[in-house]
Amino acid sequence: MAELMPGQKRLTPGAVISDIALVGWFVFALFPLLWMLLLAMKTPAEQTTTYFAFSPTLENFVTVLTQRGTDLTSVDFKSALLTSVINCGGAVIVSLLIGIPAAYAAGRWKFKGSEDLMFNMLSFRFAPELMVIVPLFVIYNEVGLFDTKAGMIWVLQLVTMPLVVWILRSYFQDLPEDLEQAALLDGYTRRRAFVMVALPLVRPGIAAAALLAFIFAWNNYVFPLILADTNASTVTVAITKFLGGGGQAYYNLTAAAALIGALPPLVLALSIQRYLVRGLSFGAVKS
Amino acid sequence: MATLDVRGVRKTYGRTTALHGLDFEVGSGEFFVILGPSGAGKTTTLKSVAGLVDIDAGQVSIGGRDMTGVEPYHRNVGMAFESYALYPQKTVSQNLASPLSSGRTGSYSEAQQKERIDAVTTTLGINHLLDRFPRELSNGQRQRTALGRVLVRPADIYLLDEPLSHLDAKLRASMRAELKTLGSMSDTTTLYVTHDYQEALALGDRIAVLRDGQLVQVDTPEEIWKRPADTFVARALGQPEMNLVDAIVDDGRVRFASGLAEFPAPPSLDLTTGQRVRLGLRPRELMVGSENVGHDWLDIPGKVLLSERLGRHVELDVEAGSDQLIAVSGSDHAPREGDAVTLQIHLPNVHIFDAADAADTDTARIGSATGDRPATREQETR
Repeated sequence: MAELMPGQKRLTPGAVISDIALVGWFVFALFPLLWMLLLAMKTPAEQTTTYFAFSPTLENFVTVLTQRGTDLTSVDFKSALLTSVINCGGAVIVSLLIGIPAAYAAGRWKFKGSEDLMFNMLSFRFAPELMVIVPLFVIYNEVGLFDTKAGMIWVLQLVTMPLVVWILRSYFQDLPEDLEQAALLDGYTRRRAFVMVALPLVRPGIAAAALLAFIFAWNNYVFPLILADTNASTVTVAITKFLGGGGQAYYNLTAAAALIGALPPLVLALSIQRYLVRGLSFGAVKS
Repeated sequence: MATLDVRGVRKTYGRTTALHGLDFEVGSGEFFVILGPSGAGKTTTLKSVAGLVDIDAGQVSIGGRDMTGVEPYHRNVGMAFESYALYPQKTVSQNLASPLSSGRTGSYSEAQQKERIDAVTTTLGINHLLDRFPRELSNGQRQRTALGRVLVRPADIYLLDEPLSHLDAKLRASMRAELKTLGSMSDTTTLYVTHDYQEALALGDRIAVLRDGQLVQVDTPEEIWKRPADTFVARALGQPEMNLVDAIVDDGRVRFASGLAEFPAPPSLDLTTGQRVRLGLRPRELMVGSENVGHDWLDIPGKVLLSERLGRHVELDVEAGSDQLIAVSGSDHAPREGDAVTLQIHLPNVHIFDAADAADTDTARIGSATGDRPATREQETR
């Protein structure tokens, strides 16, 4: 048999089958996205047809972003987009401000009940949101947080805080304790050792946790649906309103709105991509 | 420069006890070496002095001041970590500037910092690496940077955790020689941790031998070598390890269990007839041949099983009855495998230890074969 070039694969039946299977899975996984893209460029007349051949238009994107209060739809999508950015950005910032010190403490010190506390926080993630939504609704109405952005930022902590704390705790645990101890002996207080030594080294972790938390908050549907109305409602709720709620369903507008709604997390992911590299602490201690 | 006083320091991690109540004093400016195998509690001892681990009992005093409850950054000690603990996001010169710019080791202008860093890095031979990051350094260079971060600052006490362990053999020997001549080092009380007996003997004003969280012996290098408190200390020093031979006291004489050699029991040691003992014979003190005559020489007949040439020396495995002895001979006229030989040792160099039930149990030294005074063990092992 001829020598294989580096990177060249031997053509065996198994390899061919697995390649075909991979391509098949790829098509299966990406097809809904493609379908959504096609649908978003169809006119109302064509929206329920399954033909791939149609006259594409960008009209739907314009409609979604500009129309307001027409007979077509009463959804103010643009302001929902802005509200989503404020709610999710605010939620992530609050989670980072509180979660980073919390994760550091939980990662560095074992104190009475520290494991219980961490588990308790994790349990926010596996309890379904619908379980707490009714009491939350009552409480929010009572204290005047209903349909406020502050209220949304607060309730999204249930989503973002556990993520931030759990991800960053493992980053802090991976960090050799000797580094901060060296800073203490250099004459720095614990706070300065944390800021000067530990914090810069977990930057990739902070970026990863912030991104994940933002995506989870962005995709949240139940909280804004129940706890917000016109003032603090978000993209996820706005998208579904194009389905008409009993009236005519605008599938093409829904698809266009969903595509636009997926952009901010994507842009965020791309912009912090360079921080999402690990191995920053390489060379710190002998391995 | 300050004295260090460690009193009854205990530290437990969960169910395991790392330190069983350590007691020692280090004089001002003294170079004090803690020698012990890995897991003996050496690093825990250093971190207890630095305040990086909370001790469960006991007291650490620096310069006569009780350090209980004093934060590490107020103790004015510098420490080189075995793991180096260099800040990965900072260059070598930024790493070295770190203790100078904290404000707790004195205040230095930019120029003074640079001057100090230059002086230290020149001594350590890393002044061409100032702009490199730790990840761009070899292990030896990292270790010297870590050492530099300690020496660059004035401190009451330097704590050095295996600072030469990752250097190559040549550099290690030259650094060992240099270390003591460093100006700041000779002025500052230093607590130095190592598992290398040669380092300990070469550097220490005094050596503390640590075993399983307990001090076995604290003494000058010479005393530790000549009068090891027990078989653990005796075996920790010297390469190859000391030979241990079972013997019995009979009618005023100490006789090898194999019956091949005997010598008069020194009266000052109060050995009683029937008492079992162990004899310690250092390989480098066992000579091949029978040219030494006299009552203070012990002759041991044997047969060479294995002869291993190690450059200038030859290491011999000699079978002497039921015992197997290791001896080191000069490479000229070294006997070959299978040869019958006589090993000779000067009686003052024969150490007498208590007998042990198992071969790996450590027992206290009674004295030398000429009745030299016994050394005392620091603490009875559990």
